[in-house]
Amino acid sequence: MLRGVEASVAAGEAVAVVGRNGVGKSTLLKLAAGLLRPQRGAVRDRPPRIGYVPERFPADQPFTARRYLMGMAAVHGLAPADAARAVGEWAARLHFDGLLDHSLAELSKGSAQKVGLIQGLVHRPDLLILDEPWEGLDATTRMEIPMVVAEVLARGGRVLISDHLGEVSSLPDVRTWELADGVLSSPTVDAVECVIEVAVAAADVDAALADLRAAGHRVLGVRTPS
Amino acid sequence: MSALVRLRLAAFLRTGRALAPLLTVLVVLGVIYGGGEAQAAEAYGFSAALLFPVVAWQTQILFNVEPDTQRQLSTVAVRGLAREIAAGLLAALVPAVTLVAFALALPWLLGGITGPSVASGVVAGVWAHLLLVPPALLLGALASRAAVGNAARGLAVLTGCTVLAFVVGTKGSPVPWLAPPLLPTARATVDGLAPGALTLQTAVAAAWAAVALVGYVTLRRRNT
Repeated sequence: MLRGVEASVAAGEAVAVVGRNGVGKSTLLKLAAGLLRPQRGAVRDRPPRIGYVPERFPADQPFTARRYLMGMAAVHGLAPADAARAVGEWAARLHFDGLLDHSLAELSKGSAQKVGLIQGLVHRPDLLILDEPWEGLDATTRMEIPMVVAEVLARGGRVLISDHLGEVSSLPDVRTWELADGVLSSPTVDAVECVIEVAVAAADVDAALADLRAAGHRVLGVRTPS
Repeated sequence: MSALVRLRLAAFLRTGRALAPLLTVLVVLGVIYGGGEAQAAEAYGFSAALLFPVVAWQTQILFNVEPDTQRQLSTVAVRGLAREIAAGLLAALVPAVTLVAFALALPWLLGGITGPSVASGVVAGVWAHLLLVPPALLLGALASRAAVGNAARGLAVLTGCTVLAFVVGTKGSPVPWLAPPLLPTARATVDGLAPGALTLQTAVAAAWAAVALVGYVTLRRRNT
């Protein structure tokens, strides 16, 4: 799926892997995380503490969120007191503290995704790998992602993040890798796409869409009030 | 790694799926000891052979309880596939040994053991049970979704290997080494553990466990 990929992420650097669905972004991230082995070549100098946040958190597990997060913090090597403190802090920050004692299976997709985020952050990773972290998150939590990334970078960590919706534009000082047809490239700034959300009067939607397309922009979707 | 062992054991127990193998063992032991008192060596020999598929099945259940993505999170958290694999096998060892201890203790509670040479029979029985734990555990691991990709294939591996083990283990089989030595171990236990038989069956069980371990690790590495 991927070939000839040669890339590195420096300390204090964030890299966004962009590309359409199914192009291999998650595969690249799993290679970086050590979850896949390259058939040829190698992944070298992987930092010891990695935080991996999958695109979909597996919520079908027989735990409450607190029990699961405490368990994963322990697996990451945290002592119980440190684990409790880290879980509490991250839960409060992501507005999840009210759901800590709920069963994972009861959580909504967005809430389950927050559990996925917290388990990847509790141990202060040196390399944070976020696979489409905005999927399913509410607006408030989405705004936390750039801050989380900035904090990891500030302490000399690395961040690798995948995105197919153009959300990376909200990230601070992010370098972009574009993945297409199995080949990785660093596009110029002009080639990087951003997503702008615009509110338009319902009566003007068709005209606005036509204008945007005429100007050469891609329209990703239209949300109408329910 | 011990934290991951605890987390996996907790998941296994909380799903309630641990009950199915436990109830099966109760039925198996009920059949063995329900008819009255038996010689220790004879009863324990067949108890060990019949416990083999249950331990394998229990291990497969324990492995399959964990969603595939969670297994990936665990691998990252323990920093590598080798530790993740070791944590899985150690987690499976705990209920396996518990099941064996239960199988060894139950006949005493039921008054199902009798005969002139109880002590030697118990020693032989403990040997037979412990001998078959590693191959059973590794068969369960080989039949897990993590190794073979899906539950249907896992069921085929589990039942196929178990049936094969009983078939090739019959007396006079030309290829008894082709599968874990269930019936040869039972026979060796009943016959009073001659040193030759003890060494041979221990070697076959160890070799089979080693091959299964290599197979499991290879499949896991291939799937990553």
